[in-house]
Amino acid sequence: MITFESVNKWFGDLHVLKNINLKIKKGEVLVICGPSGSGKSTLIRCINLLEPIGEGRIKIGEIDVHDRQTNLTELRADVGFVFQQFNLYPHMTVLENLTIAPIKIKKQKKKDANEFGLKMLKQVGLIDKANSYPTQLSGGQQQRVAIARCLCMNPKIMLFDEPTSALDPEMINEVLDVMRNLVKEGITMVVVTHEMGFAKEMAHRVAFMDNGEIINIAPPDEFFNHTTNERTKTFLKNIL
Amino acid sequence: MFSFYLQKLIAAFPFFLEGFWVTVWLSGLCIVTGTILGFLVGLLRISNIKPVKFMAGFYSDITRGTPFLVQIFFIYFIFPEFGIQFEPMEAAIVGLTLLNGGFICEIVAAGIEMIPKGQWEAAEASGFSPYQRMRYIILPQATPGILGPLTGQYISGIKESAIISVIGVMDVTRVGWLTVQRIPNGLLVFSLVALFYFSICYPTSRLIARFEEKTTHREIIL
Repeated sequence: MITFESVNKWFGDLHVLKNINLKIKKGEVLVICGPSGSGKSTLIRCINLLEPIGEGRIKIGEIDVHDRQTNLTELRADVGFVFQQFNLYPHMTVLENLTIAPIKIKKQKKKDANEFGLKMLKQVGLIDKANSYPTQLSGGQQQRVAIARCLCMNPKIMLFDEPTSALDPEMINEVLDVMRNLVKEGITMVVVTHEMGFAKEMAHRVAFMDNGEIINIAPPDEFFNHTTNERTKTFLKNIL
Repeated sequence: MFSFYLQKLIAAFPFFLEGFWVTVWLSGLCIVTGTILGFLVGLLRISNIKPVKFMAGFYSDITRGTPFLVQIFFIYFIFPEFGIQFEPMEAAIVGLTLLNGGFICEIVAAGIEMIPKGQWEAAEASGFSPYQRMRYIILPQATPGILGPLTGQYISGIKESAIISVIGVMDVTRVGWLTVQRIPNGLLVFSLVALFYFSICYPTSRLIARFEEKTTHREIIL
């Protein structure tokens, strides 16, 4: 579904992604962890071209993401992106946040978009907030709306960039619950997170990044219990 | 003596109304053209293409960094030397449009740059085209912040329009100049002129302040 072929990226002199080769299968849930500054956010931002790459190729299906010929609008409509800071549109109600992209990009009728939007809000447990403004919601609620906003585009892939890092501890679970439901639906997910509980329970594979490299990638049981990689061990010891 | 002047002034009143009408439509027109120009240049001002950004900045620096009186002299007296000839009214329209545009482009650029980067990224990640991003996500959020300074510029544009009287456009200030030669009571004549300007500037600021209250979205932080 998503393929990285020898991807390199620099910010000036800083080599932030070093020769990344990675295949993510359809329906797979990949959790990426690692210390801050290791390049994990950059990695998933490259998947939908929020960041350009220096060398190599990233493909979604057969489409080369960074090819100039690629229709970015179509591509991005298939890829949902959830930000650490939610980034809801503050001048729109919750329901408008959900329906603006389907109406303007997918040219859906307003009535259909609203209907589907309400269904998605129900799925994340916020049906009663449809007419609220984002600033009236708590952080956890905002993040659930942000996830619902992506779902309204019927994405094939969901990317999560530290979705719970900006949340108060008691709100983390409500967001993780929504994500757990998505895993059950079989959507392809790449999740950058420090929530190791989620990784153990839900991921098909867990990757550890450091200094722009994928140091270790393995199924959760092997990753958490049987890894021989020293740097992974140190990292896990420090955060668990 | 005073009542004699007053009577003469009342007799000249239709003449003032004509001049006032010129001031109103001329500044109104140049607010519209200046706003359009200002928005376009403002968008160029935040462009990533360096030469475009530089040219837009150069234009706004020139218009904001030189007196309008000098600008209108250039347009009316110097441009003809390079083959660009304007009637007084045309020169006034060009000058005021460029002046308003120069200030408004900075207001627009500053308003847009206040919108957090995350909003651009969210719109980009959703698949909006650059035009759609601006139209549906960025500008609606930037507008409340732009309106205040914009009103200030509109009012200043109306007042600056008095300067075009020097190249012979028959606006209310020029009517004042001509009248004071026949009614030698400057206080009386120019108080009337001032009153005319005040009668459009003040309602303009009130009107936009009300509009601003309406468009400012809720800012309740929980």
